[in-house]
Amino acid sequence: MDRNRLSMLILRGMSGSMNVFNRQMKRRQKNWAASLQDGQQYDYLRDEVGSRVADRVYDIARTFPLALDIGAGKSHISRHLSEEVVERLLLTDVSQQALKRRCQTPIPTRCVLADEEFLPFQENSFDLVVSSLSLHWINDLPGTLKQIHQVLKPDGVFIGAMVGGETLYELRCSLQLAETEREGGFSPHVSPFTAVTDLGNLLGQAGFNMLTVDIDDVQVLYPGIMEVMMDLQGMGESNCAWNRRTLLHRDTMLAAAAVYKEMYGSEDGAVPATFEILYMIGWKPHESQAKPAKRGSATASFGDLSRISRPTRDNNP
Amino acid sequence: MSGSNVWTRNREKMRNFTEIFSKCADEAAAYGKCVAATTAGRQELQKDLCAKEFEALKNCFVKAVSVKNLPAGLDGSS
Repeated sequence: MDRNRLSMLILRGMSGSMNVFNRQMKRRQKNWAASLQDGQQYDYLRDEVGSRVADRVYDIARTFPLALDIGAGKSHISRHLSEEVVERLLLTDVSQQALKRRCQTPIPTRCVLADEEFLPFQENSFDLVVSSLSLHWINDLPGTLKQIHQVLKPDGVFIGAMVGGETLYELRCSLQLAETEREGGFSPHVSPFTAVTDLGNLLGQAGFNMLTVDIDDVQVLYPGIMEVMMDLQGMGESNCAWNRRTLLHRDTMLAAAAVYKEMYGSEDGAVPATFEILYMIGWKPHESQAKPAKRGSATASFGDLSRISRPTRDNNP
Repeated sequence: MSGSNVWTRNREKMRNFTEIFSKCADEAAAYGKCVAATTAGRQELQKDLCAKEFEALKNCFVKAVSVKNLPAGLDGSS
């Protein structure tokens, strides 16, 4: 039951009315997670990914007058940025509780309560758009990427990070095997993720140039399957797909714990959970950007390559 | 949250799950191996294929829970 996002697009005939996730539920889950008394203990993954996205922003030797953070949560990216790089920042999220608890940063910040799929901004307004770990709950990802492309100024850049591919495969497989053995069938408990191969296509279709996509595997160790699930819930990452089964039998949980430990556990008893983070960078086209060379403008031939490897007899200085 | 209710009691049980589960490591490993064997072998995983191992695991788990819930002194410890 682990169809990736693109195959679901094809199944639904590429219509604009893709509805995989219950966005109201996701907002309630995020509000709940943000309101937890000791909610900071669940921020480790977002902080880590936020710092890596900020690294990528620093790699671009520019100052961005106006930046937008989509699905900002408690604003994990901006705590690693400085005013020299980003002059003004706008945060959006569906969860009001998360935005209220955003971390302090010297950058002048404003918050907008908005759904990532319906950005309330004018075209060509932002120099930089960032997003960290929130795009994987979007129903219409191609549409959202197009909107991001629209709100960017020409020669603006979008830097995003989302979980994808094989994230939480250990949890998914353990639950699947346990449910099959205990109940005779299984239903999806881990939401479908975008494969890294589809990401390039999606960005290209949205109109981005000069794409960079790379993967980072983050593996976190937990005492057991219960802690994995409780931490995911504390992060606001509980499942909210429409086709989720709301009940998990006690027997199945016990069975899944045993399978998880046996198949993936290490000698000291800890079990790993893998988060495959996909980082993407895309630019809005502008005349100043390098373009592919025109056909027929080559000045050297591929045939010359073979002559490079052959050693020459005469002594060349 | 207002005092003790079904939700808080269940969360408490979930927090204790790993500790109790660790007392049944052998049974869990046996069940896990039985299920994991189907991913490598030719036999497909079906309902109740590893029912025997699971019964042993569940009995061990239920026993460990009841021992934990006994008032102090009655579970053999002083």
